[in-house]
Order: sequence, then C-alpha cells, then structure tokens
Amino acid sequence: MADPIVSLRKIGKTFPGVRALSDVSFDIAQGELHAICGENGAGKSTLMKILSGVISDYDGELFVSSQLAQFRGTRDAESASISIIHQELNLVEQLSVAANIFLGRELRSSLGLRSDREMELAAKKLLEDLETDIDPRALAGSLRVGDQQLVEIAKALSLKSQILIMDEPTSALTESEVARLYRVIAKLRERGATILYISHKMDEVFQLSNRITVLRDGCFIRTLETAETNASEITKWMVGRELDSLELSERSAPSEIILEVKNLSLVWPGHARGYRLKDIRFHLRRGEVLGIAGLMGAGRTELMECLFGASEQPVQGAMLLEGKPYSPSHPMDACQAGIALVTEDRKRLGIFPAMNVGQNISICSLKDTIRAGLLSRSLEQDASSSMVSKLQVKTAGLESSITSLSGGNQQKCIVGRWLLTQPKILLLDDPTRGVDVGAKSELYRLINKLCQDGLGVIVTSSELPELLTLSDRILVLSEGRMTAEFRREDATQEKIMHAATQGWQ
Amino acid sequence: MTNPRTGLLAKLGIRPNEIALVIAIVTIIGVTLGADTNRSYWFQWDTNSIEIGRQTALLGIFALGAMMVIVSGGIDLSSGSMIAFSGTVIACSMIYLQYGPLGNYLFPTVVDAAGKSVRTDMASAGIFVQSLVVIVSIAMGLTSGFFVGTLHAWLITSVRLPPFVATLSTLVGLRSMARILCEYTTSTYQSSKKAQVNIDHPFFTWLRDSKHVYLWVAVFLVLATLTWLILSRTVLGRHIYALGGNEQAAKLSGIRTDRLKWFAYVFGAMTASLASVFYLANEGVCAPVNQGRGHELNAIAAAVVGGCSLQGGIGTVTGTILGALFLRIVIDSVSKIIKSGADIWEGLIVGIVVVLAVTFSQLQQLRGSGRRLFPGALGVCAMITLSLFAGLIAMSTWGEKQAAITVVTVLVGLFVYGLTEKQKARG
Repeated sequence: MADPIVSLRKIGKTFPGVRALSDVSFDIAQGELHAICGENGAGKSTLMKILSGVISDYDGELFVSSQLAQFRGTRDAESASISIIHQELNLVEQLSVAANIFLGRELRSSLGLRSDREMELAAKKLLEDLETDIDPRALAGSLRVGDQQLVEIAKALSLKSQILIMDEPTSALTESEVARLYRVIAKLRERGATILYISHKMDEVFQLSNRITVLRDGCFIRTLETAETNASEITKWMVGRELDSLELSERSAPSEIILEVKNLSLVWPGHARGYRLKDIRFHLRRGEVLGIAGLMGAGRTELMECLFGASEQPVQGAMLLEGKPYSPSHPMDACQAGIALVTEDRKRLGIFPAMNVGQNISICSLKDTIRAGLLSRSLEQDASSSMVSKLQVKTAGLESSITSLSGGNQQKCIVGRWLLTQPKILLLDDPTRGVDVGAKSELYRLINKLCQDGLGVIVTSSELPELLTLSDRILVLSEGRMTAEFRREDATQEKIMHAATQGWQ
Repeated sequence: MTNPRTGLLAKLGIRPNEIALVIAIVTIIGVTLGADTNRSYWFQWDTNSIEIGRQTALLGIFALGAMMVIVSGGIDLSSGSMIAFSGTVIACSMIYLQYGPLGNYLFPTVVDAAGKSVRTDMASAGIFVQSLVVIVSIAMGLTSGFFVGTLHAWLITSVRLPPFVATLSTLVGLRSMARILCEYTTSTYQSSKKAQVNIDHPFFTWLRDSKHVYLWVAVFLVLATLTWLILSRTVLGRHIYALGGNEQAAKLSGIRTDRLKWFAYVFGAMTASLASVFYLANEGVCAPVNQGRGHELNAIAAAVVGGCSLQGGIGTVTGTILGALFLRIVIDSVSKIIKSGADIWEGLIVGIVVVLAVTFSQLQQLRGSGRRLFPGALGVCAMITLSLFAGLIAMSTWGEKQAAITVVTVLVGLFVYGLTEKQKARG
C-alpha cells in the first residue's frame, strides 16, 4: 500500500467531564473510501472535527501527506486540502448558491469589487460536474436538503480538496438522491479524492467502502478490509461495551396496562422520508420500565414528544391512557393526565438558569403550594427540600443557583420537579447524558425504586448497557420505524444494534 | 441575579445592584447640593420633591409594564405611542360624551339669567355628570390598552412575529391612529379639525395641582405593590420568570406560555394607558403628535438600569422603581446644575446612564474573561469618539477653548488606559 495520506497518532480529546477520544491511531490511504463506524458517542464526530480543524486543541499528532499538521481553524484544514460536509449543513440560507460556494473566498474583478458574475459561472461549472442543474443564483435556503448537500460538495470541489469527510450524508436523502450521491462519490474517486465516510447504515458502508474503522467509547477498536468482513462482525465490534455490574433489586411483576399506543405516526413535512415516526405500537404496564433504543435520528426524542403533547405536528394514531383516549395537544394536557417528561437536552429544555435550586424543583407543582391565593414560601420550601433529601441532591441549599450544581444533580432536580406532580408515567429521554458514573447508578436505583412504587417508566438511552440494565422490555427504532421488540432476557447488544442499523424493508 | 446572595440583605431580598442604585441616588443628591449654586435641593426641597415625585410616578407607572414584558422575555417598544393613543381615546371619549348624541342628556340646554338658551358646559355640569364622564373616559382608555396588548400577544404568539417587530409596528402605527382619531372626533363633534385637544375637565385640573401629587405617587406605589405581589407571590409571576428564563423549558413544564405572553403584553399596554391619564393631567392637553414620544425608551432604560436582563427572566419591582427614580434624579440634577432646560439633556443622560449601568454590572465579567475594553483599531476609534463627545459637552457648558483641552485630556487618559490594558493582556 502507498504512503498514507492521513495518519492519526494517539489522538485524544477531553471535554469537561467527558473523555471523547483517547489514543486513537490509524491511517487513511490515498484514494480510498474509508468508513468510520461506531455507536452514538463513540467519538466519530469529535474525530472528524479535529481532522477538519473545527477543534484545534487536542492531544496527539495528525499527519497529512506525511507532514505534521496543526490546524488552528477550518481555513488551515482547507488549505491542507481537507473539507468536511457536516450532517447539519452549513449554508447561509439567505445567500445564493454561488455566494455560498465562494463564501470567505469571494472572487474579485480587476477593480477589486466583488464579481458575482464570475462566481456564478464558476459555480455553474462545478455544479454541472456533479450532474445537477441547480441554479447558482437560487437562494441556498430554497433548495431541498439533497441539493444543499451537493452545494456543499461543490464548495469542497472549488477548494480542490483531496480529502473529503462526509458525516452521514444520506440521512436526509430520497432514494434517487442517494443514487446520485453514489455517482458523485464514484466520480470524485476517479479523480483520486480520498473520502472519509461516516454512516450508521451497514448496507451503504459495505457498498461503498474499501476499509472500515470501528470506534467505541472514544477508543480505536480496529480497521478492517471491507472485503474480508461482514455486517454482523462490525456490529459486534461496535457494541463490545462492558455491561455495568450494577445489581438492581428485584421488581415485582408488572401489573395492568397503563398506556397503549396504536399506529402512532408523525409527519415530517419537507423531508424525503415524509415521516419522523411511522406506525409505532406498544404498551406500557404499571411498574414496568420500557426502554427505547435507536441511533441518533431514529425518532426516540420525537416519540417522547408525541407522548407528552410537545410535537410540532399533530400526532396521528391513537393513544389510550388507563383505557381512556388520550390526545395531548400541549404539554399541559400531558401534565394533567399524569405524564411527566425529563427532557434530553437538560441545558436547553430543562433547567431555568436564572432560578435557584428550590424554584427549579417546584416550578411544575406550584398550584399545590398556594395558600390564600398566594404562593406560600414555606410550603414551596417543604416540597423542594423533600425532593432534595429524597433524591439526595448535593446542593449547598435551596437558594443556590441551579447552574452551580453538577450535571447529575441538576438532573435529579428535574426528576424531583416531576415527581412532585405525582405522575403515573415518567418519560426519561436519555436521562444520564452528561452525568458522571456515580450519579448514574444513583439514577438507576431511583428509577428502579419508582417502578416498585407503581410508576410506568419509559426510558431512552444512547447507551445500550444502560437500557439492558434498566429495562423490562426494549423497543428498537430505526429511521422512525419500530424494527424490533425484546424482553430483557432475550436482548443482547448485538441484536439491538442489528435492529437499529437495519433499514426498513 | 445568578450569583448567590448572602447575609442580612439577602434575607430581606435586596440585591447588590439595588444597593448600588441607592448609593448612586444619594451620591447624586449630595453632588447636586454641592454643585448647584442656588442650593435648590436645600432651600426648595419641598417643590423639588414634589416635582421629582411627579416625574418618577409618571415614568415609573409604565416602566413597571415595560419590566413585566422584559422579564417575560419580550420587549414593548410601543408604550410611548400607547400613551398618546390612550390619551387621545380618553380625550375623544370626553368630547363624544359632551357633544355626541348622549351630550343632549348629560349637558342639557338651559335658559340662563339673561333669557338666552345655552348648553351646560363641563364646569357647571355638576359632580355626578363630571365623574361619569371622567370614569367612562378613563375606562375607555384602559380598555384600549387591553386591546392593544392583546394585539401584541396575537402578533407574537399566533402570527409569530418577533416582539421587536410587532411592537415596532404599533410604535409607529398607534401614534398615527391617535392623530386620525383626534382629527375625526374634533371635526365631527366640534367646530373644526384639531391636531390637539385642551383638557379642561375639572378632574384633570385637580389632578395637576401640586397639592395632589401624593395621589400620583400613591397610584404608582399601589401599582408597584400589585406588580410585586404578582411577580413574587403568585404562580403566574413565577411562570413569567420561567418563561423569560427558558421558554422551551417552560413550555415543556406544562406552562401555557402563550397565555402568559398575553398577560405580559396586556399589562405593559394597560400601564401605559394608566400613565396616559397622568400625562393628560401633567400637560393639560391631549397632543397625539408628540405626547410620550420616545418615552418607551426611558421606561426600558429604567428597567434595565434597575437590573432587568433584556434576555428575560431577570428583573425586580424594587429595581425598576429605583431605576426610574435614579433616571429622574439624574435628569433633574443636571438641570439644577447647568440651570437650563433639562429636556435637551434628557436623552444624553438616559443614554449615558444606561451604558454605565449595564457596563458596571458586566465589568467584573469583562475583566475576568481577559478581554480588552479597547481592542485594536475599533478601540482607538472608540476612544476618539468618546473624547469628541466629551468635548462637545464641554463646549456647550464651558467654552470652546476648554472643549479642546477636554478632548485632549480625555483622549490621553483613555489612551494610557488602553496601553496598560494591552500590556496586561500580553503579560
């Protein structure tokens, strides 16, 4: 094999509280299509951000064409001939296609003025190369996602990039657009471009790649020749994560059905797939933990939002809560029906940063702390401090700022907030994200205890061991569809990952 | 305020920026006592207190409304025009009641001593009719506030306009509407089309009397107490802080955020309506062209100086009262010291005070982050701008030669500061 075009040597990166990458070393050969696979949180995106110069402070060394590269920004990476096409496209929607392609490197006329005409002609040529007839004058925001992606590729071509990173490029494309993308990729490879391809979808990876590198928990697992391996082997390497050795006390057998969901669908206007969720059906029993597995974008959070009345579009299908029809149109309806949701993105959707710990806990149950029409400070404090002691929140007091607490303790406050509303069903959307190990097992014990008290719990997680530890049953979502359901005894990480990576047939 | 409060003051619910405002107010009174050659604050303390009380109440009433909207995470730019609109509604209601179809019953034609038949006028109408007219008219004004606030909430929550755009459109639209209403009513029910209407109702003349300023202050304080009660002691208030602090999280906590916004904007517009009653009394005239023009910014400034965050979720009634009082005292103090009309200086003072107050609250953060106050070319140009403004002020108060000295002094001072800052950033 020829000299590698990119060599990674002991790359490591730590975010506050999280080790995202450690000691990752592998090579990428000139002209190959190298796929990167791994679960959510395996470190794929962090690694690509380092390669493309988005992250400039990391440990280890990066060699591009045998030279040590120290990128201080995406500009540096671009001049070293590396471009990235992000999963969330980075276009300025209000500018034209041509302006986007040449953003930051605008062509000028002899007078030093910006030359839109020249850029439009150049853009047109680049786009023709990609077999599309996108108008270079059209606003980027008016294009379909698939076309926007081609604009990004055209931008990379205009930079004459030799190394192209594609982060889940097919996640928003229709079948014909995927076929077109494959043709574009083939064309790029004919010209000698090296492509790093990140994808969850095994069929794509096996159709396109020469070699596959598997990452897990921020560590390099191995690189395999595509021809010499198969999908189940890759899946096995992806999920080889250790099960937590936490022993939870026995729960009594789940009793009667509390929630029944029939043919739940959620449309996705303007998206190739057309739906975020399609024909989901399941039931939840009192005293049961139902786990929902699925990769990023599979529709876990959307399902939680549907159950909580927080989805943007109206929900189709039927839900029965304790046998009665239930169709929440606002989270308030869900609250009144006895459903609580601990959101995934704690900082953006959970905490009130300007309020103190006590106020953050009491916000959902203030109507229980009214005396003579006014809020009673003492009743409110009693309620909040009961939760602080019950959930063992580590705080200097109810008056402390919520932002001074650790992630795990903030999460406990939010769980406490909802327990005060005495819910029948608790929805936990990735409750241990950004929570340290100690607080994690405390949260597991808490969930277990709530279950024993007769709550129905639905929990989603990016971490399979967590679901296997907690759940009585596990549903698997893939691209908005339910692809499998396992009882805990039958579930293994391999089986779940297989169901989560398969497309809908 | 996110930083934890400690000690006795914290127990009383007093925030550091409120203490700073009290100290600033006392300092300014002290400086004025020394710098004012007439010693006006000493010898005419009674008339001065009355004037400042009147002005503070006038500003404070709708500054409380501005604060409510800001805490909820929005902004109301329209309150100045709302004052003009509501004032016009009140004035036109009075004209309508007096000269419209109902006027014949309320103000009957009588035969006077000379044997001529004349219509009863407002002054001789009797206390019952007078009260009826003023109560109905003010109710109409407040109702107009309710409807404008509702319009804002609808534009923001249903049409999904940004609050800035929604209230900017009513800022310009309402004043125009007020002028149209004024011209229509005067041309239909009075002899000729007029751009403004004199307010000669005995209630407003009574209210204008400096003996009755206590009522202005009392209305302000009652409203402030009510606002405090809502924000601090009711579920509604807590939910408003939650809405302003994190709208998404508030919605996901089962809070009906649209209704809260409706309340906040109606509160904002209705306090402006209430303020318009005092504007009519204060100026003795309903002048839709310029009544309250630009005053929405003073109200927002009072709230911001009082510690409100324009990001929403942070702000107190006490702070806003102190902010309004502080602004009025600074304006009054400058007019005492330079002995010319305060109106020319008002805008400049409000501008400087807002910048200083907000800078003061962020100075610690700025220092901590190691960022420079005057970085590079932008910093140098900012230094020049600041010293030129200082020179302009010096020119109008001292003279041209002194102005030149001021420019040079300020520029050198800032330059030295910039250099030390640069040195520190390097080291």
